[in-house]
Amino acid sequence: MATTESGAEVQVAPAERLIPVRRREDALGASREAQRLGQLFGLGKKRAAELAIVVSELGSNIAKYGVQGEIGLSFDTDGLGTVRVVARDVGPPFQNLEIALTDGCNDRGPIDPADILGRRGLGTGLGAVLRLADQFECRQDAGGKEITVHLRREPATGRRRT
Amino acid sequence: MPNEPQIIEIPPRRLQKVIEALSFATVDEFAACLDLLKSAGQRTDEFGELETAFTVFVEELADAKTALKDTLGKHEQANRDLEAKLQMIEMQQAAIRDLSTPIIEVWAGVLCLPVVGIVDSQRSAEMTESLLEMVVTKQARTAIVDITGIDVMDTKTADHFIKMAKAVRLLGAQCILSGINPAIAQTLTHIGVDLTGVRTMRNLRDALQAHLRDTEQLTPGQRRRAEIAG
Repeated sequence: MATTESGAEVQVAPAERLIPVRRREDALGASREAQRLGQLFGLGKKRAAELAIVVSELGSNIAKYGVQGEIGLSFDTDGLGTVRVVARDVGPPFQNLEIALTDGCNDRGPIDPADILGRRGLGTGLGAVLRLADQFECRQDAGGKEITVHLRREPATGRRRT
Repeated sequence: MPNEPQIIEIPPRRLQKVIEALSFATVDEFAACLDLLKSAGQRTDEFGELETAFTVFVEELADAKTALKDTLGKHEQANRDLEAKLQMIEMQQAAIRDLSTPIIEVWAGVLCLPVVGIVDSQRSAEMTESLLEMVVTKQARTAIVDITGIDVMDTKTADHFIKMAKAVRLLGAQCILSGINPAIAQTLTHIGVDLTGVRTMRNLRDALQAHLRDTEQLTPGQRRRAEIAG
């Protein structure tokens, strides 16, 4: 169920496209699908690619840490052209979300450079999601995590954090 | 009266009932049809036998139709499942194409890594590893990373890309980045990356020519054309 920042339920709820994610290929498939749907929906080429990166990063995280889960894509959740991406998984919750959002870190702290070269990733995935999306929300408990991000049709000015 | 034809008398109402039942059966209204047939009760005359046979026939037809509907439903479900699976496979195949980063030795000592699709942080890490390994095993002098097919990169991913180029240099080869589009150029300057040690070229062709110029493998004619081109 979608909620706004104030916690009120959003009434406009068009059909959500759900894509199950278990492996990395699924994440990339979801990413492509997001790009395709984004362009169909009328996002610009650049924004659609940004949406695809967000989905890819969230999906890869599910494949890596979340055991299994799904990516939900909804377009125009507010009538203003906003895209919502929900990433749910059944993996363990973040030990520390603040650290997990920091570039070069997983949820426990900095990633060993050897791991980065060992194809585990850069630890910048959630950071990228944070930079490219307009709104980020994470709910979690022992049973899993649910990350909800919203991307406006056109990125808000001055939203990039570096 | 052995050879005399037998005549059966049937009240029109009884006949009418059977005709009505038959028309119900024609339009698949088996329940109504059977109700009508059974409402008459069992009779033992010849026409009664016909009625009974007709009842049994309709009952079996009804059963067969139900079974057929079930099977068709199951088939439809199976078809839908199959389509969903095919769709999933298509998505995965596309993903695998994205995942594989072919590194081609386009010329003696020249590696080319054409990057297409979506580059996320993990893919960036994977590409770095493959490229560095290939530079060593192929003893390459030049590695060209062509990102014409990339529209957007996250700042940190772009930063990592530049680091990859610098790592290639540490291995004794030069790295040329080609096909940077305006959006990525903005990203790179936005994060203020230090581009020293990384050569950038407009496109793959220019990058190849730069390598050939450096190693003086151009014919005089080619060199003149390369100089005119830029």
